[in-house]
Amino acid sequence: MKISYNWLKELVDFDMEPQDLCKMLTFLGVETTVVGGGTNWSGVITAKVLDRQKHPNSDHLSICKVNDGTKDYQIVCGAPNVAAGQTVPLALIGAVLPGNFTIKASKIRGVSSEGMICSKEELGLEESSDGIMVLDEKTPLGKKLEDVLEKQDTILEIEITTNRGDCLSHWGVAREIAAKLQKIVTLPPLKTAKYAEKNLVEVKDKDLCTRYIGCHITGVKIAPSPKWMKDKLESCGVKSINNVVDITNYVMLELGQPLHAFDATTLSGGKVVVRRANDGEKLATLDGKTHELDKNNLVIADGSKALAIAGVIGGQSSSITDATTEVFLEAAVFNPGSVRKTARKLNISTDASYRYERGTSWEVAEMASWRALNLITELAGGRLETREDYNSPDNEKVVINLRVERVEKLLGYAVDEKTIANILRFLGIEISSKVQNVLIAEVPSYRNDIKEEVDLIEEIARVNGYENIPMDIDSGISSTEQKGSNKLIKQITNSLVGLGFCEAMNYSFAEIKDLDKLYLKYTYKIANPISKENEVLRPSLLPSLMKNFDFNIGQATTDIKLFEVGKIFDDKGERRVLGILMSGPVWQPWWNWESSKQNPVFDFYFASGIISNILPSKEFTIAENRTPAKYYHPGKTAAIVYHGKVVGQFGVLRPDVAENTNDEVIYAEIETENIEKNYKNKINAYEHVAKFPAVKRDISVVADKTIKFEKIEKIIKHVMKDGGILKDWSLFSVYESEKLGAGKISYSFRLTYRHNDKTLNDTEVNKDIAILLEKWNKDLGISLRN
Amino acid sequence: MNNNINGILNEALNKLQAAQLADIENIKVEYLGKKGKITEILKSLSSLSIEEKKEIGSQVNLAKTQLTEAMEAKKKEITNKLLEEKMKNEKIDISTAFSFNFPKGHYHIISKAIEEMSDIFISLGFNVTGGREIETDWYNFEALNIPKDHPARDTQDTFYLENSENLLRTQTSAAQIHIMEESKPPIKVIVPGRVYRNEATDASHSAIFHQIEGLVVGEDITFAQLKGTLQLFINRLFNQELPIRFRPSHFQFTEPSAEVDMKCVFCGGKGCRVCKGSGWIEVLGCGMVHPNVFRAVKYDPEKYTGYAFGLGVERFAMLKYGIDDMRVLYENDLRVLRQF
Repeated sequence: MKISYNWLKELVDFDMEPQDLCKMLTFLGVETTVVGGGTNWSGVITAKVLDRQKHPNSDHLSICKVNDGTKDYQIVCGAPNVAAGQTVPLALIGAVLPGNFTIKASKIRGVSSEGMICSKEELGLEESSDGIMVLDEKTPLGKKLEDVLEKQDTILEIEITTNRGDCLSHWGVAREIAAKLQKIVTLPPLKTAKYAEKNLVEVKDKDLCTRYIGCHITGVKIAPSPKWMKDKLESCGVKSINNVVDITNYVMLELGQPLHAFDATTLSGGKVVVRRANDGEKLATLDGKTHELDKNNLVIADGSKALAIAGVIGGQSSSITDATTEVFLEAAVFNPGSVRKTARKLNISTDASYRYERGTSWEVAEMASWRALNLITELAGGRLETREDYNSPDNEKVVINLRVERVEKLLGYAVDEKTIANILRFLGIEISSKVQNVLIAEVPSYRNDIKEEVDLIEEIARVNGYENIPMDIDSGISSTEQKGSNKLIKQITNSLVGLGFCEAMNYSFAEIKDLDKLYLKYTYKIANPISKENEVLRPSLLPSLMKNFDFNIGQATTDIKLFEVGKIFDDKGERRVLGILMSGPVWQPWWNWESSKQNPVFDFYFASGIISNILPSKEFTIAENRTPAKYYHPGKTAAIVYHGKVVGQFGVLRPDVAENTNDEVIYAEIETENIEKNYKNKINAYEHVAKFPAVKRDISVVADKTIKFEKIEKIIKHVMKDGGILKDWSLFSVYESEKLGAGKISYSFRLTYRHNDKTLNDTEVNKDIAILLEKWNKDLGISLRN
Repeated sequence: MNNNINGILNEALNKLQAAQLADIENIKVEYLGKKGKITEILKSLSSLSIEEKKEIGSQVNLAKTQLTEAMEAKKKEITNKLLEEKMKNEKIDISTAFSFNFPKGHYHIISKAIEEMSDIFISLGFNVTGGREIETDWYNFEALNIPKDHPARDTQDTFYLENSENLLRTQTSAAQIHIMEESKPPIKVIVPGRVYRNEATDASHSAIFHQIEGLVVGEDITFAQLKGTLQLFINRLFNQELPIRFRPSHFQFTEPSAEVDMKCVFCGGKGCRVCKGSGWIEVLGCGMVHPNVFRAVKYDPEKYTGYAFGLGVERFAMLKYGIDDMRVLYENDLRVLRQF
């Protein structure tokens, strides 16, 4: 809301520059900034144009000789209205104009200029100017411009928090200033008037309207408002319409109470009814639209029809016109939630609805009603005929008990009783009595944010200044257990980072078309997305990682190693998983690459190595993926198993879901939350390492391709388990060739033999290899390769 | 005889002087071998008295030791020289070395920031816990003293889920309620997490961002402690004494409430582009837990007090790394990810 600095000064006596005032208000909790008006320049003086010559190199520029009473200046000026004999504002070299624009000595088309003759626009005095500002010819020369101008108003912009609707007026802001500076606010005097009792108002829905004051004013003459009122309204950004409408706006800006004036002659039945609209009832409003209403909307009606939407907007048929002679003036309190619901449903926001939504005061309603009546009487010649005031019996001042020691308990420092009482009193909160250390505080109804003791403590804290609260530290320890500890995930992701993976962070949303491409289904759809990108919640991390993949491929980055830890949302609910995506060169080509000149790229097996590296223990194993996600190549995917439970899967993506590359793209999704829940951080007992040398043997065997490797592996493991001399093995080559025979495959193993108590000899090792080979051969028909 | 021994020894030592590696073995045979010159002397001792035998014998042994040591030293000298020469020839051009980069991994700036901040809070005695992102109206609004049709809801445009009452949490404060429902005071916890606002994305707005929520509840928790804790946090985060100031503000779930500005780290408070000339940067919101929030979780607001704060992670990260467009954070361009 725009606030006039000069208007504030009329209400409360303070001596503060606008910038300092803004700072003070901001630190009271009402964010305030200077947005216009005032003296926003320096180095501008009054001077007389002695002579004007045409600029030799320009059609529209002129060269002026300007005198400040003692000295002549040569000024190049572009304004068409500049003329000899004028008194003008002259910005000298070094002057600073609004927008931090500093005047420097310059040459304009070859002619030097020692300053600038200013327009009102350049001085920030009006929004746009046609030419330079011309001052009264009697203005003394060589004076500071700000000293000869009539005191300029400064416009402030206040931004309130949702609880401080009471500050949406000059009185409200003045109250804040007064509270901080311990001053008294002086309001214009209110004069009540005599009137005839008559039934004017019928409030039918008392839950939505707790006060309604109606005044029937006759003898009104509609005319333009006086200049002082027009100026004030204009300062606050309100357009002047006519005296009566302007008065309702003026009083709202002054006291914060929205008012509405109806043309009383348009009211049928001679009274207004405050009621819920009928379903389907229509009303043409002042914004030129016709709204269809329902029973959730409160309206002001006459005997036959709705006239206005309560607290939101007036209707066209009953509006004030130039021909209006009788006014029905409304000052009311409506239910904030109801006004808000209606305003939002009809998509209307007005100065009135903005204030009603934040809550208005039943006391101020009465003040505003009298104030507006006084002004209408004064400026439009009106006379109060009849008046009716419906005031709900529930309208009572809030009374709060404030325990002095509670202030210290909450804030951490003691504020003495006298200071407390003083702060509250200057805020308009009366201390009606005191019982021991308890102050009984009566809160004025405009402070509807103050409902309990803690609200009073806040008032004390903020008026006394947050800067006066000392700094302390608590030594408490939480009773809550460390839930969802990220240590395990951290261990895994540390490994990934060590292996060259970068962490991605994506939105939790997905587009359905992207899910379709990945054969994914969504569970949660957003009811009110702002764009397609926010359609659904992601059921997997793959859609966003795939987008990252495509983006990076587009940037000619081909070595993609990404991971993300984030929530996914599917039929099992919301849970955190780890997604890993890898594709392209494992690392950049290296000139000493020995085994091949080729740069290795990620494939299923290399990825498996990565996965097994990052998993926190050997208890994680790989198994056949019985329920692979549909985006995987059905022949190149595996499940990750922990203690018999599938905790993730990985594999090569189907070529049709990774279209932007010829390389294989490998994706893993690991249920970290599941692992965390079940993970037992087993401490491995120390195992003695044998002191006798190991014997290593490489053997290659040929098997039928139909035999699963896991069966072959099982036999080695079985031999190892028997407590024999075979201690370790690894697979170092997998080889297929026609030479082996149709349907055959060769595996090469490196076997490690060791005896705990002696050095092995060849015979002993050969005997053990023979046992293994015999078992392979007997069970699976595997033979040694020639 | 003495002269003879010394003469032989000197002869051998002279030969050793000019010897190559292969010659050393020959010298050893010539003097110390079975028929070697020094060995021969010992053989010739049989005619001498015991006294003489003893004396000459010890002289011969001394000569033997001297020659052996000299030979070992010579061997070492030659092999060292050869090794030095060999290594000299093996010198490589190290200037190509950093042309091969072993791929380097990086954490995302946001998770680095969250970890850095969490570590500070952990050092101040806070626990870290997680929270749900799909929430009910109760946890996200009602229990936090934000009733339906309250203007406070205007500032938080909410994503609602279809065919359900649920929504995506607009603030990590929703986790406060869960924590208090599930445990008893004292509570001292932070909740880093993701929040959702239904607004268009631009350089400084994002439909998703991260907050760290803090909640401390006990029998003697004060606003002064809130001030001290946050000042300590800021000092540790920026590794310097960086003044902060508290401005009265309003949040439905705290009373009193404050917004916190810190002195601009970029200009030291003189005013710059980042702080828009004010010398201060707004960094977080906080306050004392509202009694209505305690009532919602059935805590006795007479017995317990508490403070809560919420800070935006992106804002800190952007300030710290000088990132001027929020969208950069979610593009996951590897050229960007690999910078931090």
